[in-house]
Amino acid sequence: MIWSWIPDHLGLIWQLTVENAYLGLVPPLVGLIISVPLGIVCVRWGWLYPPVLSGTSIVYAIPSLALFVALIPYTGLSDTTVIIPLTLFSLCVLVPAVVDGLRSVPEPVRQAATAMGFGTLRRLVQVELPIAAPIVIAGMRVAVVSSISLASVGQLIGISSLGYLFIDGLQRDFPTEIVVGMACVIILALAADLLLQGVRALLTRWQRGDADVATRRVLTRLTPGGAR
Amino acid sequence: MSFFSYAWDWLSQSQQWQGANGIPTRLVQHLVYTGLSLLIATLIALPLGVIIGHAGRGGSAVVSLANVWRSIPTLGLLVLMVIILAFSIATWLVPLVVLAIPPILVNAYEGVIGVDRDLKDAARGMGMTPRQVLLKVEIPVALPLILLGLRTAAIFVVATATIAAEIGLGGLGRYIIDGLATNNYGEVAGGAVLVVALALAVQVSFVGIRRLVVPAGLRQGAAQT
Amino acid sequence: MITFDHVTKRYAGGTLAVDSLDLEVPAGKTVVLVGPSGCGKTTSLRMINRLIEPTEGRIFLDGKDIHQGNPSTLRRGIGYVIQQTGLFPHRTIEDNIATVPLLNGWSRAKARARSRELMQLVGLEATMARRYPHQLSGGQQQRVGVARALAADPPVLLMDEPFSAVDPIVRASLQDELIRLQGELHKTVVLVTHDVEEAIKVGDLVAVFRPGGLLAQLDTPERLLGKPADDYVEGFVGFDRGIRRLSFFDAASLDLQFDAVLPEDTSAAEAVQVAKQAGEPWVLVIDAERKPKGWASTANLESVPGSARLASVPLVSYGHTFRPDSHSLRAALDATVLSPTGRAVGVDEAGQVVGVTSYDRLRAGIQTAQEAADQARGSAHDRAAS
Repeated sequence: MIWSWIPDHLGLIWQLTVENAYLGLVPPLVGLIISVPLGIVCVRWGWLYPPVLSGTSIVYAIPSLALFVALIPYTGLSDTTVIIPLTLFSLCVLVPAVVDGLRSVPEPVRQAATAMGFGTLRRLVQVELPIAAPIVIAGMRVAVVSSISLASVGQLIGISSLGYLFIDGLQRDFPTEIVVGMACVIILALAADLLLQGVRALLTRWQRGDADVATRRVLTRLTPGGAR
Repeated sequence: MSFFSYAWDWLSQSQQWQGANGIPTRLVQHLVYTGLSLLIATLIALPLGVIIGHAGRGGSAVVSLANVWRSIPTLGLLVLMVIILAFSIATWLVPLVVLAIPPILVNAYEGVIGVDRDLKDAARGMGMTPRQVLLKVEIPVALPLILLGLRTAAIFVVATATIAAEIGLGGLGRYIIDGLATNNYGEVAGGAVLVVALALAVQVSFVGIRRLVVPAGLRQGAAQT
Repeated sequence: MITFDHVTKRYAGGTLAVDSLDLEVPAGKTVVLVGPSGCGKTTSLRMINRLIEPTEGRIFLDGKDIHQGNPSTLRRGIGYVIQQTGLFPHRTIEDNIATVPLLNGWSRAKARARSRELMQLVGLEATMARRYPHQLSGGQQQRVGVARALAADPPVLLMDEPFSAVDPIVRASLQDELIRLQGELHKTVVLVTHDVEEAIKVGDLVAVFRPGGLLAQLDTPERLLGKPADDYVEGFVGFDRGIRRLSFFDAASLDLQFDAVLPEDTSAAEAVQVAKQAGEPWVLVIDAERKPKGWASTANLESVPGSARLASVPLVSYGHTFRPDSHSLRAALDATVLSPTGRAVGVDEAGQVVGVTSYDRLRAGIQTAQEAADQARGSAHDRAAS
């Protein structure tokens, strides 16, 4: 390991980190924007959920590299080629999270809200979504960490990210660069995870104690993830 | 031309189906990488996950494990291995096994720890020894999640083995990597289609296995497909 | 105030939950709907705030058909309390209570002030305002539920098995709270329960339902116990109804005896004389403050020196007392049964003796009360649909 390489290349490392962060954060955010209405629809019309779930299950099985290259004829070698598959993968985690979150709202609470005169939309916004928030945030944690890590695979089709350090390190037979790259990806991912945990703590001071069973299930069961 | 037309063009060439670089060969290689890694990982992770779950503790450690695992860039890991070890069986087997362990372990843990306390109580009340409770109640009830963990790991390994072509591994990923290097998009597309087909075949197999192995009464309970 | 007019609820598949119900809930009264599972009581309740819509028939609130107009608007004017409370876990206690006022457009400050008022009304400490529901006990949560229902001061309060999920001691205190609140607020309350004791304790009127959604009897608790409409109602009301009915008759109507009540400085000889004249085998000895000390038997008094004071004679415990001014005949009967001499001591607020009752006097008092009640029912004929 040649540690001096690091300070000499801070600019490069930073730039690649920012690019990786961009590629890793946009997909979950877009995924969230799509999955909230989609999840609401799946809860309201329950029969839609099994087919949606099967669909996401199939998409999730597809290796990321295959999806990246499959998009090349349509989106060329641009950021979008990486962002679209990562968004799809995020959806696979977030739609079930939104559905589980909404279903975690206790029936008496929903009934009481209706009985007090909440209309459907108001009840959703003021009661159901806030209660669903912890589980949805858990889903976001999974989506964000996975996307940040997976984005590096995009380097194989030339999309710039911290993956550059892997390929370059491979070509130059230079382990230091690879280790630095891995460290940056992991730190970036875990930092984002911590940030989201903080968001959850802030938003849900009403919850008893830390991650309850339902949240832990989201974090562990929806594990199909990681760089694939 | 669309992705599928490129793929079709390439796949319909008969020479792709013959020889050392032919599709059957590469497919078998991919299956070997996947099967071997999965087997070793299962032997390590499954008992471990079941035991930790049976003990009933370690929930937060398990979450941390899942989190860290998800953040590891597999491309980086593979590249690092080949640089350090040069190319040998360990170079790809170790990372594939190490990366397949967490999903199996975590899901086995979740499966066992999620067994209804009342069920375990009733079993013990009927006079079952702790080992009998584990074998006759906890594991069978945990089976859907255990299978989910295996399926997750299998798909993960298929995908990672694809990427490992970058460090010189054989298998179906070879087509994608070589095709990218030689600007032969037909090969890239063909390889992608094959990899996807394999992944979906693995997915479907597990659904089938689940139907065979998990009794109908349990299947309804598990919410995941 | 609330009128059910031939209301029927039929579910797909033919299940008849409510069968042509005619029911009138008078303003300011507590009407309890009681019956076994599947009798339609909860369905009927939930038709009042349109959580369930009737298949046939109409429901009127304050003269207006509730089916006209927006359900949400209707519901904001009706308080609703359920068994599992349905408190919003993500809001503090005071924000939970303030929910409907906020929905109605009140300022947050005004709504929170109202919350504090209500917390006091239902007996919750102000320090709990900023806590979250999961930090409260079951009984406290239920009080919050009631406070929340009352926040916008609705004229009508619907309660669906509100006290079933708490233990009996907490349940009894919550029932007492409800009675006390009603005494202050005079809301129109419709309460559903499967516990006939609760119905009798809390209700001004009790509606007994039969399985299949039919109303078997609508009456005051006392008349329900006194004259059940048929075998079903009688069975439902439970045994011991004769004695339980006595709790609706005031003990004040009892003709108490005061002749054989003597201060402790009376002489034995005088006591014997008084007792014989009154024809009482026991004399109640009272102290200087007129509080009871115990019973002296007349036979015993005859065997002691005539000059001995009652204070020095061995006494039998005076047993249990009762309050003629506030207790019921049932309490008087209970005190009599529990007293060693078969005579119960009636006292006032200060504990001073006002008189004594016995089995004979009770018998007379009970008979009189029952006759009076039966006469009153005869003239005001019940309008129960059945």
